[in-house]
Amino acid sequence: MKPGFLKSLVPALLILAAPLTLPAQEHAAPADTAHAAGPVDIITPHITNSDHMEVPWPVFPFFKEITLPHWEPIHLGPLTLDMSPSKHVVMLLIGSTVLFLVMLLVAGAHKRASRAGVAPKGAANAIEAMILYIRNEVILPNVGHHGEGFVPYLLTAFFFILTLNLLGLVPYGSTATGNISVTATLAILTFITVELAGIRAQGLGYLNTIFYWNNDLPMVLRPVLFAIMSPVEMIGKITKPVALAIRLFANMTAGHIVVLAFIGLIFTFGSLISIAPFVMAVLVMVLELLVAFLQAFIFTLLSSVFIGQIREAHH
Amino acid sequence: MSRSLIALALLALLALTAAPAYAAEGAAKPGLLDPHLGLMTWTLLIFVVLMVLLKVFAFGPITEAVRSREQALTDAMAAAERDRNEAAKLLAEQRSAIEAARGEAQRFIAEGRATAESMRGEMLEQTRSQQAELLDRARKEIESEKVKAIDELRREAVDLALAGAGKLIGQKLDGAADRVIVEQYLNSLGSK
Repeated sequence: MKPGFLKSLVPALLILAAPLTLPAQEHAAPADTAHAAGPVDIITPHITNSDHMEVPWPVFPFFKEITLPHWEPIHLGPLTLDMSPSKHVVMLLIGSTVLFLVMLLVAGAHKRASRAGVAPKGAANAIEAMILYIRNEVILPNVGHHGEGFVPYLLTAFFFILTLNLLGLVPYGSTATGNISVTATLAILTFITVELAGIRAQGLGYLNTIFYWNNDLPMVLRPVLFAIMSPVEMIGKITKPVALAIRLFANMTAGHIVVLAFIGLIFTFGSLISIAPFVMAVLVMVLELLVAFLQAFIFTLLSSVFIGQIREAHH
Repeated sequence: MSRSLIALALLALLALTAAPAYAAEGAAKPGLLDPHLGLMTWTLLIFVVLMVLLKVFAFGPITEAVRSREQALTDAMAAAERDRNEAAKLLAEQRSAIEAARGEAQRFIAEGRATAESMRGEMLEQTRSQQAELLDRARKEIESEKVKAIDELRREAVDLALAGAGKLIGQKLDGAADRVIVEQYLNSLGSK
């Protein structure tokens, strides 16, 4: 690299820094005048949900902050349900719309190709390869015999999580899967699916997955082990979805924190050495791309494994 | 320089990604791990609707298309296998037919040769027997001619002798008795 290039890069970085710092101070000022000039937390607002969001804007600084509408909370008995659309709700809607449209196009390409008696080309074939891989190599072998009924849920979970993960890496985007509410809901759905699969596969034997009662043991030992092991079984049942939710949430959040930290370092240094965090930020971003696929894959794989386990379980 | 332009563009993207970070928070900052019931409900609704839509409009048709394609492939493979087996069977049939034809031809040739051989022998035999017969007949004829000639000669000799003797004795010797005498004599000569 020529030194001239580096010299031209630094002002460029500083120009880019302008939109980053200006609005932050704008908003921080009325809220907390004392800290207006001090360091601003750019990370927490980025990774948390809010009722504001930036949309692309044609004039400098190329984004416009809009405030999402606030709806009156719905009261359902003791529950207060605030259904106001927040940033992550918008991302969920955008993500699922994009995913649905893409899948619709893929399905259309398949129908056309199927009529012509050939395989579809290009992106449709790539998505098909993903669907087939997840279906035939991840879901069906893990779920066990006659597991076709679980395929729509698990495939949807995979592509839903993947789309949301990727949307978090797109400019103006925000990671809905980096929100514990979203991941918890998905984990609860998996939990319900697993338990329903267990009840369907084992009937009354399903109770054995909650209460430990081993008929091979001497009569005296049975209540003792029942008292000891039943809580373990129950905790094990709850741990799985909790781990699913935390894993996805933590992975997505952590990646973004690291990227933001490196971007922050670029402006903190504000000199030639900024190249280092810049390179690191780019590399971590590439890593994030991998993690986006990986976490979607892991969520699907583990859900399949849990479903398979409870369907196979024999006590 | 194009690489540096790309780098700048990437950086700009990163900066823009970070831009939403400035959404100012209200007074009450929600904790990172606080679940929000409204968002959970939204997630549930969106996910379930998406799942139904994808199942009906995407995964169903796609897997169906893949299945039919695989089916077509299996069918094509089965058809090819069938054709191959048929071809092999036909080939074997043809080969055995050729083998049979060849054997038949061989048999015909051998038969023809045997027939020719036997016919030749027969004809040879026939010729030989005919020849023998002809020879035999000729020999018999010669014999009979010879006997006839001898008889003729003998009669002539008797006549000559009698004529000679009659000249000598001046009388006509023509009695049957004289003839018997001479013939007896000649016979005695012949029997010697």
